[in-house]
Amino acid sequence: MLDEWSSSLLQTDPMRAYRMKRDAAHRTVQSKYTILGFISSGTYGRVYKAQSRDDVDTGGDGKAGKIHAIKKFKPDKEGDVVAYTGISQSAIREIALNREISHENVVALKEVILEDKSIYMVFDYAEHDFLQVIHHYSQTLRAQIPPAVLKSLTYQLLNGLLYLHTTHILHRDLKPANILITSSGTVKIGDLGLARLTHSPLQPLFAGDKVVVTIWYRAPELLMGAKHYNKAIDCWAVGCVLAELASLRPIFKGEEAKLDSKKNVPFQRDQLIKIFEVLGTPDEREWPGIKDMPEYNNMKRLDHFQNHLQEWCNSRIRSSSGFDFLRQLFAYDPENRLPCREALQHKWFQDEPKPTANAFQTLAAHQIPPHRRITQDDAPSMMPMPQVQPHPQGSGKPGSSASFASMTQLSGGGGGGYQTSGGRKKARMG
Amino acid sequence: MATDFWASSHHKRWVVDRASVKRARAEDLLYVDDPEYLDFLAIFFANCISRLGKKLQLRQRVIATATVFFRRFYLKNSYCETDPFLVIAACCYVAAKAEESPLPIKNVVSDARFVFSQEMYGIKTFPSDTSKLAEMEFYLVDDLECDLTIFHPYRTLMTLCYKEGSNVGAGGGADGNIEAGELGAGIDDGQRYWGTGEGRLELHEGALQMAWFIINDTYRSDLCLLYPPHLIAIAAIYLALVLHTPTRTLIQSQTAPGSSSASATGSACSGPTTANPTPAPVRRSSRQASNASSSSSKKNQQHHQPQDFVGFMASLNVSMPLIATIAQEIISLYTLWDRYKEDSPTSTSSLDSSAKGSFTSNQGRHNSPFTTGTKRSATGTNTSRSGSVTTNVSASAGTGSHAGTPMDIVREDGVEITPVFLVKVLLKMREGKWTDLAARSGLGEGGDGGGNGPRAVNKILGRTQAAG
Ligand SMILES: Nc1ncnc2c1ncn2[C@@H]1O[C@H](COP(=O)(O)OP(=O)(O)OP(=O)(O)O)[C@@H](O)[C@H]1O
Ligand SMILES: [Mg+2]
Repeated sequence: MLDEWSSSLLQTDPMRAYRMKRDAAHRTVQSKYTILGFISSGTYGRVYKAQSRDDVDTGGDGKAGKIHAIKKFKPDKEGDVVAYTGISQSAIREIALNREISHENVVALKEVILEDKSIYMVFDYAEHDFLQVIHHYSQTLRAQIPPAVLKSLTYQLLNGLLYLHTTHILHRDLKPANILITSSGTVKIGDLGLARLTHSPLQPLFAGDKVVVTIWYRAPELLMGAKHYNKAIDCWAVGCVLAELASLRPIFKGEEAKLDSKKNVPFQRDQLIKIFEVLGTPDEREWPGIKDMPEYNNMKRLDHFQNHLQEWCNSRIRSSSGFDFLRQLFAYDPENRLPCREALQHKWFQDEPKPTANAFQTLAAHQIPPHRRITQDDAPSMMPMPQVQPHPQGSGKPGSSASFASMTQLSGGGGGGYQTSGGRKKARMG
Repeated sequence: MATDFWASSHHKRWVVDRASVKRARAEDLLYVDDPEYLDFLAIFFANCISRLGKKLQLRQRVIATATVFFRRFYLKNSYCETDPFLVIAACCYVAAKAEESPLPIKNVVSDARFVFSQEMYGIKTFPSDTSKLAEMEFYLVDDLECDLTIFHPYRTLMTLCYKEGSNVGAGGGADGNIEAGELGAGIDDGQRYWGTGEGRLELHEGALQMAWFIINDTYRSDLCLLYPPHLIAIAAIYLALVLHTPTRTLIQSQTAPGSSSASATGSACSGPTTANPTPAPVRRSSRQASNASSSSSKKNQQHHQPQDFVGFMASLNVSMPLIATIAQEIISLYTLWDRYKEDSPTSTSSLDSSAKGSFTSNQGRHNSPFTTGTKRSATGTNTSRSGSVTTNVSASAGTGSHAGTPMDIVREDGVEITPVFLVKVLLKMREGKWTDLAARSGLGEGGDGGGNGPRAVNKILGRTQAAG
């Protein structure tokens, strides 16, 4: 029989034996990866560059020594104490979706490690991203991105997006920083933290996240307060990204109106004006649904603008099929906006120069953006680096809190080498 | 999620064979007095999830997802080594997030405490500290290998069938009945993910509701681990066709040589309830029809060929013997379930969306407004193991399960299988396991984790207590 002490333990903590078993079997992040440095901090966590440990323990999966990006979700804090507080909706989403998908143009999740009240998502490493490319051309080379590269990046982006859309996933946060490129010039869509299935969602899409998509890339139907939206919002964002690649600055660089104290979504006046300045004020002829949009009356009060997209394209895209392509991605009516599949078949991609599988194929070495900068973690206790703090084997199991170091306040930007300006930050809620 | 079930984690990693399911209970078997109790526990736990889910106002699909999580967790773990109630709460909590309808962790904890402390469970030790549930969530998600996207038979059901004369897409929305609203959910789910057939079945609303309820019930067994969801859906449709009185009547009229559907309708209703004798036109839509989106026009057709039921099943391009096997297993579940007594503490039972009443007759509390004409039909459902689905639809009553006398609930040894009893069984198993752990020298044994080496159990327990 159990003695009294054991049986009271059984009463108060019947999961003890289970946890011990699990903790004993757990392989820690530190035992599997060497942390090489800190890459960036985002809304939901911090991203590190890491290398698979080259020892027998890696199980000979052939991946030893491979470079990865490890995204560590920040644990929620209750006061000063880091405690288990439940995995965030965003992390669950990103994990659940990533486990189901696999495509050449979508960044691959290698594994997820749950440890020390934190979640570590281990991705294949991508050396570059669209934002980097834009910066490299605007700051260092001071030249336009060559058409072949422009087309290749856009084509592969659309190819990855087509896959997501075919599997009924809306990305909802496409922007240059979230679109990665490997050193061999393959585009990898990343950051599925806002992505969602459109497949018979139990909740209407608007219910969960009142605000989606970073303001500069946000489709007009969202700005007009649409409750229902679809894949077309991602296609709009592709148009914005293409325009940004072509002009090296955001095409619709509006100021975001902030949520009020009651978390009502405000009318995004400035962003709409930025769009209208280029595309003209939409009317019922080109967008019949516009009069039913919640913000229709607010929109009516804005100044009236003419469409200038053709002129905008003249100096930046310099191709009539390129203009037509962008025009169709920027269709106001979501119903008329170019879907991924048709976009991939657009004449622009058939015109010379054609897109290449390695987006950098046509470039000289100096034209390729430099490697991602990594730094020492500015929150050094977050994920101890081996050289700073040797990690004792066996600590840091899910059940123990002993080795957990709490996270310091996140700062924006980080080690990516870029100033993260306000507009690039997305506003997320709930 | 992805339309492609065949590319999903569900298909690739989580459809297992019966031997694996059996193996998962090996340790529990060491500590349970009667192996049959484990089967009752499977029903009991599903009911617990359902009750907690209803209290949390989760929709049926979320409850189903939570149940699949629970089953998957116990593919790797033992009841006797865990606290299933904490696991249940974690399953509901994660399922709500995975299905995009998250709940505050506080609510889950307080509702779980409330539900499980009720008399029928008598669990007073559910931790009030939310971090305990959050910690369990971590272990759970890890044991689930982060595969959180679950396919359910509901989707196949709605893809294959539409309600006669109603716009399914509108989503029902009967007041206060979650299930009714859900019947419409997901109708635009895209193509089926197997086969090439385009056939659609037009089901009497009662039959469709019944198939839905049968699917609800399958979560009380391990079926969701053993078979892909579309096969479970087809087995449920098959059973509903056979059991739904008006539909069965129609099929009988078709299979009786030389009879027209009109003449048969009045004569073949042998079930105790014939409240809704409307014949259900069950027919196959023309696979040749070039107009694929003709569902509305089909509805308007006044005269149509009575559906060739066999032909429809054949068009599904699935193994009919396998469907028959699944149907048989569903019936076995009802037979078992019929011997389990769980009285609802409140009038709004969590089990009111079950088709159990159509299979067994011992409990009269089945009160769905949707199953008029199916209740207590006590139909013989002598599914042929040969896989023939046409011949055994005769209404020979009473072959399906024990007839409903109170005697059936009490086993030969006088044991009455109730929640209170099963909680006792569970606690005894757990204590047995702990006693063994204490008697043996270490915890590493018996589990596949290992690695701790021999140590005095009290020392280990002490150490974990200090750490945890
Ligand atoms: N696989 C990867 N390889 C290399 N770098 C990566 C990888 N994934 C992410 N990063 C870098 O980390 C940054 C943040 O990653 P991610 O967008 O996934 O996180 P986030 O927290 O959602 O960020 P944000 O809210 O700013 O979008 C990326 O912009 C990129 O610079
Ligand atoms: Mg990002």
